[in-house]
Amino acid sequence: MSEFLNENPDILEENQLPTRKEDRAKDLFLGGFSNETTLERRRLLLKIDHSPKSQVLQDIELLDKLLSIRAPPELTSDEDSLQESEEEFMTSQNDEEEELDFIDAQEIYDLIAHISDPEHPLSLGQLSIVNLEDIEVHDSGKQTEMAEVMIRITPTITHCSLATLIGLGIRVRLERSLPPRFRITILLKKGTHDSENQVNKQLNDKERVAAACENDQLLGVVSKMLVTCK
Amino acid sequence: MTPDELNSAIVTFMANLNIDDSKANDTATVVTESIVHRSTKLLEVVVALKEYFLSENELERKNALTCLSTILVKIPNDHLSKNECSVIFQFYQSKFDDQALVKEVLEGFAALALMKFVSINEITQLLRLLLDNYQQGQHLASVRLLPFEVLKNIFDRFFVNASSIGQVKRINDLFIETFLHIANGEKDPKNLLLSFALNQSITSNLQNVANFKEDLFDVLFCYFPITFKPPKHDPYKISNQDLKAALRSAIVATPLFAEDAYSNLLDKLTASSPLVKNDTLLTLLECIRKFGGSSILENWKLLWNALKFEIMQNSEGGENTLLNPHNQEKSNDMGEYTNYEACLKIVSLMGLQLYDFDKVSFEKFFNHILDELKPNFRYEKDLKQTCQILSAIGSGKLEIFNQVISSTFPLFLNNTSETAKLKLLIMNLSFFFDSYIELFGKISTDLPEKSVPNNKLAEYKDEIIMILSMALTGSSKSEVTVRTLSVIQFTKMIKMRGFLTKEEVSLIIQYFTETVLTDSNKNIYYACLEGLKTISEIYESLVFEISLKRLLDLLPDYFGENIRVNDEENIQIETILKIILDFTTSRHILVKESISSLATNLNTVAKISKSKEYCFLLISTIYSLFNNNQNGNVIKEEDALSLKRAIEPKLFEIITQNSAVRDDNYNLTLLSNVLFFINLKLPQGIHQEELDKYNSIFISEGNIKILNAPTLLIIPYVKILSAMNKSCIFPQKLNILTETIQLLRTHGSIMTETEKLGYLELLLVLSNKYVPENNVIELLDWNDLSLINLEIMIWLSKGLVMQNSSKSSETANNFIGLLSNEEIGSFVARLFEIFVVNISSLQKFKGINWNNNVKILYKQKFFGDIFQTLVNNYKTTVDMNVKCNYLTALSLVLKHTPSQLVGPFISDLFPLLLQALDMPDSEVRVSALETLKDTTDKHHKLITEHISTIVPLSLSLVLPQKYNNVNVRLIALQLLQMITIVVPLNYCLTYQDEVISGLVPVLSDKKRIVRKQCIDTRQVYFELGQVPFE
Repeated sequence: MSEFLNENPDILEENQLPTRKEDRAKDLFLGGFSNETTLERRRLLLKIDHSPKSQVLQDIELLDKLLSIRAPPELTSDEDSLQESEEEFMTSQNDEEEELDFIDAQEIYDLIAHISDPEHPLSLGQLSIVNLEDIEVHDSGKQTEMAEVMIRITPTITHCSLATLIGLGIRVRLERSLPPRFRITILLKKGTHDSENQVNKQLNDKERVAAACENDQLLGVVSKMLVTCK
Repeated sequence: MTPDELNSAIVTFMANLNIDDSKANDTATVVTESIVHRSTKLLEVVVALKEYFLSENELERKNALTCLSTILVKIPNDHLSKNECSVIFQFYQSKFDDQALVKEVLEGFAALALMKFVSINEITQLLRLLLDNYQQGQHLASVRLLPFEVLKNIFDRFFVNASSIGQVKRINDLFIETFLHIANGEKDPKNLLLSFALNQSITSNLQNVANFKEDLFDVLFCYFPITFKPPKHDPYKISNQDLKAALRSAIVATPLFAEDAYSNLLDKLTASSPLVKNDTLLTLLECIRKFGGSSILENWKLLWNALKFEIMQNSEGGENTLLNPHNQEKSNDMGEYTNYEACLKIVSLMGLQLYDFDKVSFEKFFNHILDELKPNFRYEKDLKQTCQILSAIGSGKLEIFNQVISSTFPLFLNNTSETAKLKLLIMNLSFFFDSYIELFGKISTDLPEKSVPNNKLAEYKDEIIMILSMALTGSSKSEVTVRTLSVIQFTKMIKMRGFLTKEEVSLIIQYFTETVLTDSNKNIYYACLEGLKTISEIYESLVFEISLKRLLDLLPDYFGENIRVNDEENIQIETILKIILDFTTSRHILVKESISSLATNLNTVAKISKSKEYCFLLISTIYSLFNNNQNGNVIKEEDALSLKRAIEPKLFEIITQNSAVRDDNYNLTLLSNVLFFINLKLPQGIHQEELDKYNSIFISEGNIKILNAPTLLIIPYVKILSAMNKSCIFPQKLNILTETIQLLRTHGSIMTETEKLGYLELLLVLSNKYVPENNVIELLDWNDLSLINLEIMIWLSKGLVMQNSSKSSETANNFIGLLSNEEIGSFVARLFEIFVVNISSLQKFKGINWNNNVKILYKQKFFGDIFQTLVNNYKTTVDMNVKCNYLTALSLVLKHTPSQLVGPFISDLFPLLLQALDMPDSEVRVSALETLKDTTDKHHKLITEHISTIVPLSLSLVLPQKYNNVNVRLIALQLLQMITIVVPLNYCLTYQDEVISGLVPVLSDKKRIVRKQCIDTRQVYFELGQVPFE
């Protein structure tokens, strides 16, 4: 048990944390594109000029806009038909037009990696307390089904007295950020802490977490840890 | 002047004194003139005033003496005879005992002291009088000023010119004693300035100063460190800085102060306030500069120990400041140097002064310091400070520099494979580079090869280059810091005058180019880019030969072909193009060569099938090269001309013949814009010739004939036409306009959208810069409500709107009228956006005014024209459809109007914005939300008043519904977040629970970016009103 798994961790630079590899083109251009080439072209442009404000890009957007300005106006203001079409839209069209971004391990990682360590000026990700490979997500993507997130954290020393606080911080962050259908489980990585079972129990005991959140001072400490979240 | 006149003048003066001072002054001037012309004697004035002098009334005596003193001040210095001076002097002396008259008496003395014929005896008496009978503590600041002026006048009169040296000896000591007497306990800033100045004059001009040096020093140093905060309406405009500077220059005025100054200043150095420290350090620096080598010889050990402590304890920043030099911000209250810089500066100056004074002492000084610092190298402790101290000493003089380098470099310049050590080594090198630059200067474009004297650093050059290049090329890619540091140091070496040879620079360029290609780390990328830019400032052609040519040669013929650099296989075309774009900016040769070389590439690529993407990349790069370098005259007329000759025929061929370009909307438009840029910059003299040429190519001759049948080649024509001088003779313009309209009407339905857009843009260009507005107005047919005609009219009108034509408001109103038309209203509403979209080839470029008639403020005028009408119509309409049209038109115009133009209309606009959020159109919602966000930022009160509407509305917009697309949801969430910053907490708290629970469904939004924003927004609401934890 006394094997120190994360003592004196190599501190990672902020930009060395694992990130979503795919380019951000899609995020930058939010409008729904009917046309795949349009998106592809913009993606290419972003690779040669990282600013979404470049003149080329604006010109291309303008061209698309002017070409589509004649598209038949979608105005039907009759209230009833609007309602109807909306429902229809919700059930069928929406699924086709808006592609679903799944909640995946990377997304969870992005949520919690930037939480500050309570005693260092560094983030949990930089100290490798949370690691991308220690996050499991089980989610079907369906709104009606339960989903689960399982996170294993690695304290920096086996007797780290702040492990519970770190766990609490992660739990508060995730409970605020994930839809209620998610069950959140936070565990210490096997063999990384002297009182592993106790801490695990404490972290996943609803009553005790709720009680902790009643404590204003404790909540204040947690909020301070969450300030650095991006 | 008769006695009566004199009497009446005196009465007038006394009556006006303190009531109408300018009148009193005028009267005094009249009397003075009469004295100057010898028609009145000064003694007569005294006699005339006699009664007043003897008056019981204190005020009358005071006024009488003021009268005399005022006149005395105005009398020229050489007017009064020796006798007169003596009599007047006696007179004033007799009045000195009258406590009420001290001010006036001193004024009189001040004037008398300047008189040519006043004798040294009288001055002696005066000084005695001040020394024995004047009690400075009893008077106000304005009175206390006068003795200083008296002394200053005496000083100016006697001590400045050498002729009176014999006399001066007699009063020398008395003068100093008197000064010490009156300066004691002074605390008024204005008086202090004079006191400091006098002190300085005394110590630098008088004799026997050594006898008084302690007192003179004390009367100065008791004020150190001086702080003064000027009152709000300070009439004298004395700043803290003035006082500091005056005090400082008085302290350093004589080497006699040296001993006292050093010990006292070192005492003050222990102060905890950084500002006091700064003042102390800057004064010390001045002391070293002024007192010279001998004083340093006695004090350097003390000084060094104190400064060493300062430097070692208070290092500023570390690795980070070196990596991001731009982040350093200086506090404004500090002097020219920060404390740390000042310390180093002092050490450096001590070395230099000592060296100039006595080389042996310098040896002692330097060896002492070196011995103390040596262990730091061994234990790698405080290495940064150590190297900064040593390099600071080295920056004094060539000989010192050599000594420093040869004794320091062997201590730390050892190549090592340990990253941490290597990092330190590279960082420490940097300080010596700085001192090299300080000594020999930076390289400049005029004299890149100017030689510098032989120096020791040059001997280490090869070793340094080797270490740095090993660090850059030999370390693993993950060693970002070491590699970045190495690039930064290479760049610094380039800047060092006369340090590197051309071959070495070439080598560095090669390193940078390879690194930038193969390394994806952002820091390294930007460091290399910065380096390449720095090099191209001096060695542009070298960079072209070694770097740019290589990059351009790497571009393959096929998209997806492997590009190899060293062992890296998969370098992307995009990366190369990005690098070219990034580092050529504003470098004349590089930009030009890149353009012409990329055009050649394009020519090859376009002929290959399925190359649209690659063409697109090349074209956008060429386009961006033109666009980014539009301002600042990087591409000159002759470049445009030579580019035109070299590449235009190729481009033209590509446009007309290769389907990879012609059948791709983006490629065609962008490449046409490239043609626009080339022609825009042509010398104006040949525009006419070019216009005629293009008219025949596209319209009359050849087989293109754009007006006969719809063709995509309309687009290059329009862009070229946009570039031409608007004053060119263009006789066919009206024909072309009517024929285009005809073509659109007859073939509109079968044209592709791209073709149609091209023809419509032609209408815009013609109506903006060639066809007179009346002709345009005549062509508008308001009876034909077909969609194609509406578009024709909108584009024609846009040309007028953009030139702020007087006719444009009327046309705009006609369009507003059409909004209420049931059939076409909604279509017209969407067309309103066209009025204000920016067409890039119809914009204003710096330094070019011939290309179009676009007014900078046209959007403002247009918005003003339509706003009120739209709002009124909106209010008076009941039909929801029509209301919706008005709102749509307004929002679409708003979207392209800068928010500062909207400001004045905001209170009228606000209710409409809120309603627009309900409109069944996502673009309208986006536009309304954007405007609301701007409003939230600027009009806090308005938002607070409406928060009860805005919050529920926003909460309904964050849910996925038909017209709430990603953009709507995202901006609505951002708006909710912004509200918490702007609206007072007590208002926000009311909505805290509502928002937190209202956002729960959004946490499972389909789009990650929306979820992300939702989490941030919720977090802000969770923390509302929470007491911050410290």
